[in-house]
Amino acid sequence: MARQWKAFRWWILAWVALTLAGAVAIARLELAQLKDAFETNARIMHRLLSQRVVQHDAILATLALLQPGPDGPADAAPEQRLPALYPQILSAQRRDREAAWSDPAMASAEATSRQLRRATLADLDFASGRYQLVLAAQPASYALTIDLRAMVPWAEWPLDPASSPVRVVLEHSGQQFVLQPGRLAPGGWRFEFHKHLAADSQAFDVVATQTVGWAELPWGRMALWALVLAAVLAWARHGLRQRAERSRAEELLRLGQVARLNTLGELAAGMAHELNQPLTAVMASTQAARRLLDDDPPELDTARQAMAQAVEQARRASDVVGRLRRAIERPDLSGQTQALDLVEAVRRALYLLEPECQRRGVAPVIEAPQPVTVLAEPVALEQIIHNLLMNALQALEHAPADRRLTLTVDANGSSGRLQVADTGPGIAPEVLSRIFEPFFSTRTGGLGLGLSLCETLATNMGGALTAAPNESHGALFTLTLPCQPQTP
Amino acid sequence: MSPAAPTPAGSAPLSPLIHLIDDDAAVRDSLALLIGTVGLRVQTWADPMAFIDGFDRQGIGAIVLDVRMPGISGLTVLDTLAAQGVDQPVIMLTGHGTVEMCRRAFKSGAAEFLEKPVNDEQLLEALQNAVRQHVRSRERHQADRRARERYAHLSEREREVLGLIVAGLTNKEIGRALDLSPRTVETHRANLFAKLEAESLAQLIRHYAALVETP
Repeated sequence: MARQWKAFRWWILAWVALTLAGAVAIARLELAQLKDAFETNARIMHRLLSQRVVQHDAILATLALLQPGPDGPADAAPEQRLPALYPQILSAQRRDREAAWSDPAMASAEATSRQLRRATLADLDFASGRYQLVLAAQPASYALTIDLRAMVPWAEWPLDPASSPVRVVLEHSGQQFVLQPGRLAPGGWRFEFHKHLAADSQAFDVVATQTVGWAELPWGRMALWALVLAAVLAWARHGLRQRAERSRAEELLRLGQVARLNTLGELAAGMAHELNQPLTAVMASTQAARRLLDDDPPELDTARQAMAQAVEQARRASDVVGRLRRAIERPDLSGQTQALDLVEAVRRALYLLEPECQRRGVAPVIEAPQPVTVLAEPVALEQIIHNLLMNALQALEHAPADRRLTLTVDANGSSGRLQVADTGPGIAPEVLSRIFEPFFSTRTGGLGLGLSLCETLATNMGGALTAAPNESHGALFTLTLPCQPQTP
Repeated sequence: MSPAAPTPAGSAPLSPLIHLIDDDAAVRDSLALLIGTVGLRVQTWADPMAFIDGFDRQGIGAIVLDVRMPGISGLTVLDTLAAQGVDQPVIMLTGHGTVEMCRRAFKSGAAEFLEKPVNDEQLLEALQNAVRQHVRSRERHQADRRARERYAHLSEREREVLGLIVAGLTNKEIGRALDLSPRTVETHRANLFAKLEAESLAQLIRHYAALVETP
């Protein structure tokens, strides 16, 4: 019991170790996939926003090139049509020649723009979600007021801003504009993405952040892995145990056979000695008597003595035989029978003999249309079936091809029947009549006790064992045993 | 252990004696009776150890030994007899003899190996052969001993001359070889024949050649 538990502990340990290793691998794979998706999305968002800000630069540059005509009416200003075309452009301003910006910040931005020869931010107000972009030109300079939220091409945005766990923020000179809030949680894993927009005039920093908490790990898949692993290990353990059990059972069976043979050998040797002594005495005495009677004149008295001795020794021999018979007399089995499933008994015997079958390339077929319950003594029944199967398998060794072994179990009213049919060489007619005689064997080295014992056992259980030729070729053995009496 | 078998009337005290060793009284008695019918004396023994300690080693005869006995195997008894230089031929009897057992018995010097129950003619013939063989071997042994005693009486010069006679040399050649006159050789030769009680050259060579060759 303790050993069993120890072995079981190793299985548990193996399961735990493999589960942990697998879970870690699954989690790492999941995290790598999440990070990959996060970075791809961040790059897409950065590209989309970069395209927009570059567009703003281009619009301003176009306006600066067009310049209002020298005598054109003021209301013909094309820049006033921009808000209608671009939703993110809230308004466009123009500073005409010799005019001045009302806002000093605009003036300073224009100066910077003139110096840098590119558009410049004038008023950055992330709190209200807007900024101004100024481009200095001659004679007129232009400015655009841009709405940050309207600037985002939401139709092409890779994430749903309301539900996505990714937080996306635009940062510039200490100000922050939240494009989507995401869901950040402390602990777990954190992915970050930082990149300035690809326009020097509006080089806002795109900051994307995502956190993956412990709860977001793929626990379901890990649990599934643990379960599958447990199932596989349990299956393997079952298989190994079954194999060990089978080999143990085979070992026991073999031991039993060896023990039986040993006992038989001892018995035979003892019997031979016990019988040989009186037989020797009988023979010597009678031979001496014959010689004494042949003498001239015959020595009648001594001869008579010798004959008396011979009679006494013959009686001694007969006593030995009687004692032996009493010693090995088999107990009456009819009192020890119990209800047994005959099909099940056949299956068990076949299971034990599976290696023997495989070795001979025989695939036994069981034909049992219905369960059959017979009254038998379990060990005796097992021995009979085992012997019949072994005989059939040994017979099939001599069949060059078409090695078939068919086991039919059926019931006929008051008795159950097992038929063992093989396609071996079969039984010669002159052998058939003697096949159940003790010490009769056609096999070299065979003791000739197997079938004799089986027949005795079957008879003692109120059944019978018969042999006949199989339909086409081979042998057919039929074991009949009384059925379970029908309960009224 | 006393002789249990009837001693047939008229047999001389020096007539062959058969020792029969078997633990089974019935077998012992019936075999003794059977052996007695051909006029051989039988002494029976139930205990192999008592037999080894008590039997007459000088007597002429043979031993009939059962292989299977309680306490000690017949094969062990056989080995003990061989080790003690017992020269009586041994006939082994066994209930069921294996080839291996048979091989061992013959290797240990058994004269015959018979199965029980034993056929009377086989057993009696084997016994008579064994006794005849034993008598002959004892006679040969005795002749050898007498020859060795006589040989011991020869002088050094006579032994040399004998060696050369056995080697087939004539008197003249012997004289030349030993640097003696033919007359002296003749004298040695006459003495030698007298001492060894040899009546002819052939007899001399037959009895003494073996002794000369292994001085």
